[in-house]
This record gives sequence, structure tokens and C-alpha cells, in this order.
Amino acid sequence: MLQDSSRESAGGPCVGLFVSCLVDAMRPAIGFAAINLLEAAGCRVEVPLQQTCCGQPALNSGDLAGARQIAQHTIALLEPFQYVVVPSGSCAATIRVHYTELFHEDPVWRARAEALAARTHELLSFLVDIRGWLPKQVALPASATYHDSCSGLRELGIHAQPRRLLAAVEGLSLRPLEGNATCCGFGGMFCVKYAAISNAIVAEKAQSIEATGAELLLGGDLGCLMNLAGKLHRCGSRVRVFHTAEILAGMGDGPAIGEAT
Amino acid sequence: MSGARERLSFDARVRDALADPLLKVAIDRTTGNARTKRAAAMAAWPGFSSARELGRDIKDHVIAHLDHYLVQFERNARASGAQVHWALSGPEACDIVVAICRKAGARTVTRSKSMLGEEIGLPHALQEAAIERVETDLAEHIIQLAGDPPSHIIWPALHKTREQVAELFHAHHHDPGTLDSIEAMVASARRELRGRYLAADVGISGANFLIADTGAVCTVTNEGNAELTTTPPRVHIVTAGIEKLVPSCAHAMAMLRLLVRSATGAELTQYTTFHCGPKRAGDLDGPAEFHIVLIDGGRTRMLAEGLAEMLRCIRCGACLNHCVVYRQIGGHAYGSVYPGPMGSVLTPMLDGLPQSKDLPRACTLNGQCQEVCPVAIPLPTLLRGWRDRIWSTGLESVTVRQGFAVWRFLALHPALYRQASAMAVWMMAWFARGGWIARMPLAGGWTRYRDMPRPPRRPFIAQYRRRMPRP
Amino acid sequence: MSDARSTILSAIRAALGRRRGGSAMADEVTIAAEAEHLRARADATRPDRLRGGAENAFLERLVSPAVAATAERVASLSDFPAAVRRYLTAQGLASSVALQPHPDLLALDWSGIETHGQIGIDEPVAVGLALGAIAETGTLVFHSGPTSPTLFAFFPTHHIVAVETGRIWNWLEDYADAFAGCAQPRNVNLITGASGTTDIEGTLVRGAHGPGWLHVVLFGSAAPSPDRPVATDPPHFTSLDNVK
Ligand code: SF4
Repeated sequence: MLQDSSRESAGGPCVGLFVSCLVDAMRPAIGFAAINLLEAAGCRVEVPLQQTCCGQPALNSGDLAGARQIAQHTIALLEPFQYVVVPSGSCAATIRVHYTELFHEDPVWRARAEALAARTHELLSFLVDIRGWLPKQVALPASATYHDSCSGLRELGIHAQPRRLLAAVEGLSLRPLEGNATCCGFGGMFCVKYAAISNAIVAEKAQSIEATGAELLLGGDLGCLMNLAGKLHRCGSRVRVFHTAEILAGMGDGPAIGEAT
Repeated sequence: MSGARERLSFDARVRDALADPLLKVAIDRTTGNARTKRAAAMAAWPGFSSARELGRDIKDHVIAHLDHYLVQFERNARASGAQVHWALSGPEACDIVVAICRKAGARTVTRSKSMLGEEIGLPHALQEAAIERVETDLAEHIIQLAGDPPSHIIWPALHKTREQVAELFHAHHHDPGTLDSIEAMVASARRELRGRYLAADVGISGANFLIADTGAVCTVTNEGNAELTTTPPRVHIVTAGIEKLVPSCAHAMAMLRLLVRSATGAELTQYTTFHCGPKRAGDLDGPAEFHIVLIDGGRTRMLAEGLAEMLRCIRCGACLNHCVVYRQIGGHAYGSVYPGPMGSVLTPMLDGLPQSKDLPRACTLNGQCQEVCPVAIPLPTLLRGWRDRIWSTGLESVTVRQGFAVWRFLALHPALYRQASAMAVWMMAWFARGGWIARMPLAGGWTRYRDMPRPPRRPFIAQYRRRMPRP
Repeated sequence: MSDARSTILSAIRAALGRRRGGSAMADEVTIAAEAEHLRARADATRPDRLRGGAENAFLERLVSPAVAATAERVASLSDFPAAVRRYLTAQGLASSVALQPHPDLLALDWSGIETHGQIGIDEPVAVGLALGAIAETGTLVFHSGPTSPTLFAFFPTHHIVAVETGRIWNWLEDYADAFAGCAQPRNVNLITGASGTTDIEGTLVRGAHGPGWLHVVLFGSAAPSPDRPVATDPPHFTSLDNVK
């Protein structure tokens, strides 16, 4: 096992970026935006290439043995870094909150999980709370509204940070969303296993988003954003959906989720 | 009616619920009101979060010394003249209640709302015993007329719109009047039930709190029907879960602040009553006999099997009002007495996990229930606990287990994982039109209702490898 | 059913990991100390409700939209019959009331009003005397007994209640503490406004099964005494005089 400080460079801290399996497969732009932002915030970024999934689907399905195996893989992979940053509230919460619970009967792995948890952060909260960073000279003349994804909001307390970051984007106006803290109905496996219920929830959410009249919908978790973007598109809405990191990295003029490149 | 509904599968009940446009209207009207009022009450109470910790600690203290408090309560209740009975199960409790009614020669009983009564199947037991049951709580009166089970623990008739209530009253009330407003409907129910209070032989109520140091039973109501149910008849029977204890009246007050604000947004219900023993010498009203039936009904099993935190529940209903799933499907779709998040934790214990394995899974684990719970019950954690048990006891389908096994194998073998995900995104792209996939095999759960964004040509890690030479 | 009793108690002890009489069982003194500590913590969690003193706070709460009772102040209990007459006239009610059989009420001069001691289930008006009140929540306290039958507070359509200013407790717990260790009446009724229901679409409607109107007549001046705690000097309360 490498020591915590072994990869600290002379400059900024060494950050291991865990992009999450969904960003890896569905929206690499978020991963590249995260690299840009972390470097702008003075970090040295490394992407451990052996990363797969944090194990959340197994955890939420009751497959604890499977979740533990994947957690062990991920802990071993990520523990050399001074910080681990994840551009997803729910995956960051899996590592920060649930890994330690998984090993409550295993003192060795529990200690390793706790040590990793203490150094793991969701991207937007890391930028604000740990790095004290705000974007400079990023402009996007547009109106946007914000969905607070549940895991980030309730398990990690992420609420003010994305708003502070977005307030520093020139020309971007943020409109309040009715029910901004109400679940979008994604819920991982829930959205396919109980598709009809999930649909009823996201349909209501899509209506509230439409009602804001905003051009953009922003958030911090790709799962929820894909759910919302997919529903908005199916309903014929013209609201464009981005991960907050993409906007902050100046990629807001590029294709939104579901827009052909 | 309820029986037929319960025999349907969860999916079928959900389908029925989602297809009922009036149900959604009814749910939104009541839960919307409840959320707004609760939010206002909490905004006016900066001490809420410390009060909530206190509420949690009071309940945990009682549960940690439950044997002590039960014995103390029983002693004090007996000293006040109450007769205390103990029941292991719902059926046993019903037998006790029916036996008391029979001994009293009861033909008619009035009942004020108690979810525990529903839990133990008391309405059914009274019917079997040919004892007429008159529900006096307005909502219970409505669902009794409709032949429905309750759909919410605070507002059992929440699934009925005002228009549907008017229709029911019109069909059943002796003197319904015009019924053109909610006021007129309430007045009609008042007229209808007025005469029944004095005619009842036995009054049955539940308990919000059992006060250990006095032996009193606390009920909170708004309508006044509870006192009209429990005072005139010669016999008053209380059914109570053994978890309802608090050490003293002062502790009950701290719990009341939490309960009432969380339930309705009020600060105190109109009527908070402590019932202690039968009519005293010289009293001008009150029952001659006062019975308390203390019911286990799975609660000691909850204590033993990792659900002790659920025994904190004070049945405020806030978790239902804030649950996105409940707000879409309503109470009946759950197919159990207790719906919503608290119900999804309780039902597998009460009805058995195989029959209710959908409930803990039909949840997004968004955590809003825990956030609003006035006694800080970690509902998502308890629901996860049931999911673990579903998996470990083999109740999960073979297909899902096999799928997970393959996925886990890949997640533990990064090189294979890279190949598999590259292949998956490549195949998905086949089904895309422009930036979106509208239909795709094996993704029906998703694409039936929403579009799927087209994946990139290559996953992130593959792109990163190309762009950034390894350090 | 003592069988069920012992089964339940031993199941609890087993679940809590204790053996009967084992050392792990906390003793009564420890449990009581823990309970008292919890009780004490409540003080810091209460809402800010007592600005302006107990009497002020009580009246304010009582007439607030949430409680929606009406209230007035009179100098002494002997002014109560006049207040009742005024209320009956203002509401256009017949001068006939069920009078709670309390000696203090029976001793008053009720001329001009027909009073009776029996109460019917459709009684239009009952007149009563509360044991006390709680400022925090705008609540009236009744203890059932020979001079205070429970149904007087539930049968009538209009309930007119006198309560003494010196008997207003600040907080819910202060009421509880005042009677801790005392013999309990059959019923303690804490009454906060007229009966109501939200059972149809969550809309509040008054006058469900209990009274539809609650009118409170506060009499006397606040005179703190050990068993009747009062917060501070109550300021003069004029704005609510004869509130309807
Ligand atoms: S679980 Fe909590 S929020 Fe839900 S009913 Fe029980 S006490 Fe209320």
C-alpha cells in the first residue's frame, strides 16, 4: 500500500479522478470537463485506468458480497491518491458513506474504507469547499435551472456549492425550480424495474422544469440527467441538459446530452 | 373489495393506480396541503432539529428499557382501575376485544381511528362476531361507506376527492342536504353520526402514547369524535402497540410537538386527551370499564431482527406525504395496512417478505423520508436491509442474479470490462437516430417512457488513453 | 393472558440481550436519571412563543388563524355571565345554556339566561370553567370530575369557557410538571380551538363532531403563585378585548 502523501507533487495536490461507469460509457465530456476544472483549481489529475464501477448497483440490490468485492477493488485502486474526486454525488456517496458500512465487521477493510472515504469528494463540492475555486472568464449567456440530485444533496450536503460556481459564470441566470430537491424518479435499477412509477415521477418533474422557461437544465449526477433529458426529449421539450462541470469548463456551447456531435 | 385488490400483483395494483386520474388529483390535494403546512410549521421552529434528536433519543431510551416501562405502565394503569391485557398477535388481540364486547353484551361499538386496529384486523373480527361497528372519524366513516381499506395513516380517505365523498354521502346518509361544499359534507356526517355515539355499548380507540408513570393513554385528534367514542359507552377498550410508551406526560409533550407539526403542520391537535382508568366515584360521565390491550404483533421480532429503529415511528405520515412513489401510486397500491416508506419497512415484517418483496425495492432511496421523519428513522437504510435479505434468502430472480454475476465479474476485471463497454456502446449506437435512441432491445424499461441519449463512439477511458499519454 | 405477558417480556429481554435479573439490566434509578435528563433537554428545543408574557402569548395563539378561537378579557369571574350574554346576543343564540356544574359557576348571577345542569348531544351552548391554560399552544386544560364532566366540552355547538389569568402555564411541560405524581383524573382534555377536520382533501373545516365555536373569557389578573406559574408581568392586553 502506498502512503497517502506518496503521490503529492510539489505543486497542487494529486487527485485521482474516478469518473463513474456511467460517465465512462455515456458522456465522456463530463470526465474531460472534470480534468479541466481540477487542473484549473491547481490539482495534478490522474485517471486510474483500472477503474470500473463503484458497485452501487450491487449495493442497492442487496448483493452485499458483490458490492464488497467491487469496493475492495476500488479501494485498492484509489487509496494511493491524496484526494479522490468523482463527478457524481451518488457514486461519491457510495465511496464516502456506504463503503465503510459494507465493512463494519471487517476491521482491516473498514479502516481502509474509512481512510478513503475521508479523502473522497464529489467534484463540485471539492472545487468550492476544498480548493476554494470559482470559475473565471467563463461566459454563457443563457437561462438555466438546477436539479439537486438526492444522494449528493442528502448524503453529502451538496446544495450551495453548484450554485456558487454557476453564479460565477458570466451571463448565466439561474431560475428557481419548483421541487428542486424532489427525486426525479431515476433511482438506478428502480427506473427500469418499476418503469411505470419512475415514468410518472419524471413526467411530473419534466413539467416543473418546462414551467421555469429556462433554456438549460443542470445537475451533478449523470443518471438523473439522462433520465430527465430522455423524458424531456420524449415529451418534445427544447430544454437542453448538461452536467454542471461541462458548463463550468466552458463546454456549454457544445452538444447537450442527446445532441448529435 | 379490499381482498380482490390485495390478490392482484404489485405491478397490477400500480397499473390500476396510475391509470386513475382522480386518484392523482386526490393525492395531490391532500399531500400538497400537508407538505405546505408542515414546511411552514418547521420554518417557524428553529429548534426542530434538536427536538428531532430528542424525539429519537426518548424513543430509543424507551425501547432500550421497554420491559421496564411496560411493567411500570401496567402497574400504574391497574392502579387507576384499568384492566390490562396482553396479546402476542393480531388475532389474539382481536379475540380479547371481541370477548370483552361479548361480555358487555355489545351489539354496537363505536370506534375512533386507529391504524393498529386496521393492522390487527379488528374491523373484520367485529364483523365475524356480528357486532356492528360504527367508525366515527370522518375519514374512517367515508371508507367504511365505500368499503375501502385506508390509503393513508393520517388521512385514511385521502384517495377520495370531494366529489366522490359527496356521491357516497348522498347515497348513504339519511339527511345529506345539498353537499355542495366540504363544509356541507362535514355537517352531514356530523348529523349522521350524532345519534350513534349514545347508542354504542362499547367504544374502541387507539393510543398515540402510553404514559408509563401514570398509566394514562394519550390520543390526539382534531374532530372530537374520539372523546365522543370513549366517554358515553359503558366500556372503553384501547388497543395499543407495545412500542407506544413514553416515560412521563412531560416526555409525551416533547413528542407531541414533533408529531402534530409533522402530521398536519398544526402545533397541537384540537384534542389531546389522556385517558386514565374508568369513571371515578362522583364522575358524571365516563365508562364503567376501561380495558387496555397491549399488542406485540411482530414488534419484539423487530427488536430482535435489526428493525429496532422502526419502533420509534410515531405514525405521523410525513414520510408518505413526501415520498415520490406514494405520491404517484397512493396507498392502496402497496396492498398493506401501512403504505409509503414506513409501510415498506413494516409490511415485510407483518405480512412476510416473499409476499411483499416489491415494497422495499419500489423505492429510489432518495432519502427525503428520512429527512422529514420527526424521529430520524433511517428509512432508506432499513429498506436496504430488506433488499439484502431478499438477495441473501434467494428471493431475487435467477435472471437478475445471473446478470449481476456477469456484471460483477467484468467490474473486477478491468481489461474485460473495457472491451465489454466498448462493445456495448458500439452496439447501442446502432439503434440511435441522431443523438437519441427511442427503442432498443433489453432496454424496454427505459425506452418505453423516455429516450436514451446516444453513447459516444468510445468510452471515456478509451478516449483518455488516446488523448493523454500515460504519465 | 399472563402467558402472552411473560412471552412478550422475555422476548424483549432476549432481544435486548439481557437475562432476567442479569447485571446488564439497568436499575430503576439509572433509568429514571436518564429519563430526567431527556426531559430536561426539551427546554432548549421549544419554539419561541412567550414573548410578551404568558397571558399575551396565550391570547395571541388562541385567536391566531391556526387555533381560531375568540377571546375577551374581563376583570373577574363575576363578569362572566355578562360576557356570556354578550356572546349569545352577538351570535344570535337563544338565552339558554348548559352550565358546567362547577361551584364557582353555580355561585354566579345568571339572571337573564336560562341555565341547566344536564347536557344534550345537540346542545347549542355550554358554559364552562377550565382548570387552566397553556400559553405555548393556546390550549385550555380540563380535568374530568364531578364538577367538570367531559362531555360538556364535546356535545355543544358553542363552547364558552372562562379561565383564570393566574392559571396559565407557559409550556406544555409546565402543565405536566404541575400534576406529576398527583392522582390522575379519568380524562385530561387539552383543548386547542374548536373541533375541525382535514379529512376531505386536506381542507380544514371547523365543527366536525365537537364544538364549532370556542369562545374564551379570561378573568382576573396574573398573580404568580408556586403552583400556578406565570412567566413575567403580563402587559395590559387591550387589543383583544371583545374580539369576535
Ligand atoms: S417513519 Fe417517521 S415520518 Fe414516517 S410515519 Fe413514522 S415517524 Fe412519521
